[in-house]
Formats: sequence, C-alpha cells, structure tokens
Amino acid sequence: MNITLNGVSRQISSPPLTPLLRVLRNELNVVSAKAGCEAGGCGACTVLVDGRPQRSCLTAVGSLNGAAVTTLEGLGTSENLSAVQQAFVHHYAAQCGFCTPGMVVAATAYLDAGGSDDKEAIQEALGGHVCRCTGYLKIVNAIAAAATQSEFDLTITAEEPNVVVKTGGR
Amino acid sequence: MAVHRGRGVAAIEYPTGMNQNGDPSQAWIKVKPDGRVDVFSGTADIGNGAKTIQSQIVAETIGVPYDWVTFDNSNTDSSPVCTGTFASRATFVAGKAVLKAAEEVRHKLLEIAGLEMEASADDLEVVDGEVMVKGSPTEKLSVADVAGAATYGHGQLITGTGAQLKPYAEILDPETGVVSSPPHSAISYAACAAEVEVDDETGNVRVLKLIQAYDVGKAINPALVEGQIQGGAIMGLGLAVLENAYPYYPSVEHRGYGFGSYYSPGMEDLPELETIIIENPSADGPYGAKGIGEMANNAQPAAIAAAVHDAAGVWITELPITPELVLKALEAKAEPRREGKLVAFDDEISVNTVGAGISWMP
Repeated sequence: MNITLNGVSRQISSPPLTPLLRVLRNELNVVSAKAGCEAGGCGACTVLVDGRPQRSCLTAVGSLNGAAVTTLEGLGTSENLSAVQQAFVHHYAAQCGFCTPGMVVAATAYLDAGGSDDKEAIQEALGGHVCRCTGYLKIVNAIAAAATQSEFDLTITAEEPNVVVKTGGR
Repeated sequence: MAVHRGRGVAAIEYPTGMNQNGDPSQAWIKVKPDGRVDVFSGTADIGNGAKTIQSQIVAETIGVPYDWVTFDNSNTDSSPVCTGTFASRATFVAGKAVLKAAEEVRHKLLEIAGLEMEASADDLEVVDGEVMVKGSPTEKLSVADVAGAATYGHGQLITGTGAQLKPYAEILDPETGVVSSPPHSAISYAACAAEVEVDDETGNVRVLKLIQAYDVGKAINPALVEGQIQGGAIMGLGLAVLENAYPYYPSVEHRGYGFGSYYSPGMEDLPELETIIIENPSADGPYGAKGIGEMANNAQPAAIAAAVHDAAGVWITELPITPELVLKALEAKAEPRREGKLVAFDDEISVNTVGAGISWMP
C-alpha cells in the first residue's frame, strides 16, 4: 500500500493494523509526531490526514491507502516557516517542545478551516492537546496572531513582560 | 444554591540551588578563527531555556552578538561537569560558570588585541563584536580579526574555563546547626493572588484569574521568565484543583488506570493570567539573577484554597480541592438536620438506588 507523506508517495511495508504513528516514527523515520499517551488523550501525535487533524496513534495505517498525510515536516522548513510556526516562535509558545508538533498541526487545520482569532474558539479547537510546560496562554496567543495573518520580525520578542526593577538594597 | 466568588493570596520564598551541599557546574569556551564562540556546558535544556540564557550571558560578557554564540551540550564527554537542571540552578549556578569562562575569554581576547593594536589590554573594550580603544571608538578591530590573528599570527587559542561551586558546609555545632559557610544569598520571593468561583451545588471550583509577582533577581530573558511563571501557574492550578495520582493515599485504591484518569489542566482550564517580574538582584547569581524554575508552582494551591474559603466559607486542608471535598466541608458547616426536615439526600436510600443494577465502573 501507499500513502502520500508530505507530498511524496511512500510505500508502506508495516502490517495494516500498525498505528500510523509507529509507521511514521519506526518505518519512515519521520519523528515530529510524538508518542505521548498513545491512547488518543494528549494530542502529541496529531497529523493531518487529507487535511483533517487525526490522532496517528489510533489510526491503523491500513485504513489510509492512497491518503495524503501531512506532518509538521510538511508545513514549513527552518528557512521558510509557515505562518503558525512563525507565530509560535514570535510568541515563545514552546518550552520542552514535546506537544508543539501536534499543536502546530492542529492549529494549521483550525486556521485552514476558517478559524478566527477568538480565544475561546481556539481553546475549544485545541482542547484535546495537553501541554505541561507553557500554561497554554502563549500558545493561544500565537494561534490568535496567526489567525490575523500577522507578519513577524522573528528577531524581536513579542509583548515585553511587565518588569519592575527594584533598586537599593537586598 | 449559588455560585460564589472569592479571592485569596499566598506568598513564598525559595532558595536557589543546592545550598551548602556541593553542587558544581563547569563550562569551557573557545573562539574559532572567525570570531564565532563555542560554549561547552553540561546543562541539559528541558525547555527552561538554559541554552538561550547561557548563550546570552556569554554574548553579553564577551561583547559579541548573540547569534555568534553556539551552545553545545550534546555530549557528556566533550562537555564539562554540570550537576544538572534542577533546584532552579541552571541560570543561577551553571550560568555563573559560563560567565566566569566568558570573562576569561574576554581577557585573552583583549591581550591578543593589544598586541595587534599596539595598546594595553586594560585600555581596550569589546562592543558588539569589535575591540576598540576606550574613549576612542574609531580605533577598532573586529573580534574575527583578533581571533584570526591569534590562530595564524600568534599561535594561540582564545579560550576560557569557569566553574561554580558552593562547597559542602560542615556543621560546626550540632546543637545550634551553625555551619562553616553561609548559604547562597539568592532567596527568591513571590506572591500569587487568585480569584475563584465555587459552585455550592456541585462543589466545583473554577479558577478565574491568577495575578503573580515574582522576584527573579534579574530577568536575563524576560520572555522566558514569563513563560516559566505562566507554566508554573497552570501546574499550580492543577495541583490545587485537579491532579491526584493516589486519591486515598497511602491506600492505592482508586488510583488512576490510564492517561484519562489523571486530570492535568487543559486549555479550557486556562484562567486570566497577569505576571509581574520583580528585579531585586542577588549577590551571587550571574548579572544578579536568581532561580525561577521550581518556585513557580508553589504559591497557587495556597492562594486558591484561601480564595475558596473567601467564596464558600470553608477551609479545604488537603489537595486537590475536589468537588467532593468542597461538598463535604459545606455539609459539615451547614446546620445540623432537624427532625421532620425534608432530606434531599439520604445515605441509605441513595446508595440502595445507585446499587440497583446500575454499574458505575467503566
């Protein structure tokens, strides 16, 4: 069987019941999709199947003959980031980075489907994605910024945090 | 039956690093012939930004642009010892080690530059990748040229090493606990104010807003500091109202059986967050910095518990503050039942009803 992975046709030799996540990581060496809970609960393995976000850990590869699968690697390169990726960099929306590929893929699908910068809508759309580092706020802000097609100067950080300098003695 | 709002506040002080217990970090830095700077340090970056912050410290201390600095922590053989990323020490201890190494590099760089420019090293400074005579910015030589001259003209390597260690402190008097050396003078302080909503019918607690002020000594990278504080806020929120691996500890009954039975905060739990960074410099840390990592998720549970008390009038003294605990506390607080009062919930009747052929187990 074949899938089109990030625009390139790939032949799959794994058995049909193998999860797509394991095919990507073990057979095809495409490792942006992460093995988090492997039970559909954390969102770290999310990829696009024919443009729709799907948990690759729960998707049997045999159900995908002829389908187009897009992972983070298919969205942008480090020289040419996608809008969502630029927004994530600009808003510092990643810390350890484990949830980030799934977040970026899901956010891309949300925006491709006409998603707005409404924060509650973003929280609803990405509600199934768990992040344990960032506290979510910067991720929501990044997706909202990408929704408004903001252009970013990646050498400058986003809003300066509120810093109070205390002088005179410790 | 109503939803009540309440506010609470809690404060914390937090020591940075492993005080008085032998906690070394080492670093070494070399300058390539084109002036680019390689930093070798053993500090693991687990998302806290250790690579970014230590690179910033090196760039600032030597006087070169940030993007000239490459930080290599990929290999435990080529990197010197770093005890690790824990105890909020990556900036405070390991950052101090790279600072010392960078100072040595700047010193050697200026010595070579002095030979090239026929000036005393003491009269030179490095500004944005160029060595210049102090007070005479037109007389200058790029760091790349100095590094090239060191390599091909003087046969030298511009390099530096640094190490930071708070030595083991001996207990001098077991009676009083007096020790032979003082602790790090880098105590961080913080406060968190919480606003919550408590539903006295369901017992559910929803955190609406967290305002947090953290003293970090010096915010070397304010965006990263804010990320640590916001991330810690949601971890603290989880500890306060959601997360529990052993609900009947020390009994292991009813412990979670899978990913979905451990409640970590999701996007829908995100409250309004307001962050205030306070710079109250420490004497020991690089550029006055203190640790921020671990203290960031400690004050929220206490603040949220105080806010629950403000809202519902009950103190919950164990975590997480589950609907069950809130309802039990509200029930204990309520007036005792009087004879003849209509009872909406009766243990015996209700338990029998639930037991009548309905399975609640998955």
